[in-house]
Amino acid sequence: MRIKKLLVLSSLIILVLTFSLAFTKGALGYYPLPLPGVRTLAYWYLITTLNPRYPSFTAMSPEAVTAIVWDYRGLDTLFETAVFFLAIVGALALARGISLKKALDNANNKDNGKGLSLICKTATRLLTPLIIAVSASIALHGHLTPGGGFQGGSAAAVAPLLILVIFSVYFLLSKGVAEKPMLVLRTAGLIGIYLTALAAVLIGLVTGLNAYVFQNQPKLDAPVGIPAQVSNALISGTLFFFNLSEYLAVASGFTLVFMLLSIPEEIVRSFISGEAHE
Amino acid sequence: MNELNVFLFNTLLFSLFFNAGISLYGIFARPSLIKKIIALTIFSDTANVLAIVVGYRTWPSPEQSPIPPVITTTNPTTEDIARFASQAVDPLPQALVLTAIVIGLAVTLFLVFLTLQVYRLYGTTDVRRVAKLRG
Repeated sequence: MRIKKLLVLSSLIILVLTFSLAFTKGALGYYPLPLPGVRTLAYWYLITTLNPRYPSFTAMSPEAVTAIVWDYRGLDTLFETAVFFLAIVGALALARGISLKKALDNANNKDNGKGLSLICKTATRLLTPLIIAVSASIALHGHLTPGGGFQGGSAAAVAPLLILVIFSVYFLLSKGVAEKPMLVLRTAGLIGIYLTALAAVLIGLVTGLNAYVFQNQPKLDAPVGIPAQVSNALISGTLFFFNLSEYLAVASGFTLVFMLLSIPEEIVRSFISGEAHE
Repeated sequence: MNELNVFLFNTLLFSLFFNAGISLYGIFARPSLIKKIIALTIFSDTANVLAIVVGYRTWPSPEQSPIPPVITTTNPTTEDIARFASQAVDPLPQALVLTAIVIGLAVTLFLVFLTLQVYRLYGTTDVRRVAKLRG
C-alpha cells in the first residue's frame, strides 16, 4: 500500500516537472515569452471575420469566436452539440421510469409551504426574470459581443435551478415547467439548428443554384447565402439563428436534467424498488 | 522587465501543471466518486486555461495591449480591421475552450447523475466498495 502511494506520488511529480520544463522551454512554439504576433491561421480569421472586401471568405460577424464556432468550424460545433445531447439523453435514460407527474399526484406533495425562507423566495421571484433577460441578451447578441447560445442557455438554466433549490420541484411543476414541455423545447432547438445548417442547401434546391451544408455567406462557386443584415441590423446570416436555437436547446436540456436530479430520494427509491418487484 | 515577465510566465505555466498534477492525484487516488468528479472538473478547467495561454500574445508595442477578438464597430474600415488584427489575441483556442466547457458541463451532469444512481442502488460512492459488490 505504501509503495503504491509512493509510486503514484513520484509519477505525478515527474509528470508535472516534465511538462513544466517542456512548456517553459518552448513546447508552445515560442521561447521564452509569447510572440507579439499571432499564428497565420489566427491572423486569417481576424482579418476576415467582418470584412466586406473579402465577400467569399468573411463570416460577417464582429465576434471572431462566434464566427469560428458557427461558421469557419461549424461542423465541429454540430458534432459537439451531438455529444452534449447524447450526455443529456444518457442522463434521461438513467432516470427512465421515474415520472415527476406521478410523484406529484400520488403523495401529498402539493404542499406549497416547502422551501427556504420568505426572504429567499422573494429575492428569487425578483431575480428570476432578470436572469432570463440577461441570458437572452447574451444569446441574442452572441454574434456581436462575447457570448452566444451555449453561454446564454447555461445562464438561463440557472433560473430554474434557483427555483428548484429555493422553492421545490413541485413548485416548478405547478408552473408548467415539466418534462414534456422541456423535451419539446429541446427538440425544437435541435430542429432549428439542423434547419439553419441546411438553410443554404434548401434555398439552393428551390433556386437551382449550387450551395453547401453550413454555408453562411455566398461563396464563389455557391452564390446562395443568408443575408448578413436585416433592415440595417447586423444578424450575421446563420449565426443569429444558430445562437437562438442553441439557446433554447441548451436551456431546456439543462433544466430537464436539473429537475431529474432534484426528485426527492424516497420517490426514486419507490420507483427503483417497484422496478425490482415486477 | 523582460526577466520579470519571463519569470511570471514560467510561474504561470508551472502552476497550471502543478494544478493538473493535484487534480490527477484526486482522480486516481481518491476513492469517493464525488471527489473524482470535482478533481475532473478542476483538471478540465486547468486544460482550458492552458489553451487560453497558448492563444495569448505579448504586447504588440509598449502602447498597445492585446485586446479580445471582437471588433467594436459593425461597419469597420480597412484601417479598423488592420488595427484589430495587429492587437487581437488568437480566437481559435477560445472557440475550442467554449466547446470544451459546454461538453464538460454536460459530461459532469451525466457523471453526477451516474454517481447518484450508484449511491441509490448500492448505498455508497466509494469505488473500493462498489468494486467488491457482487450481483
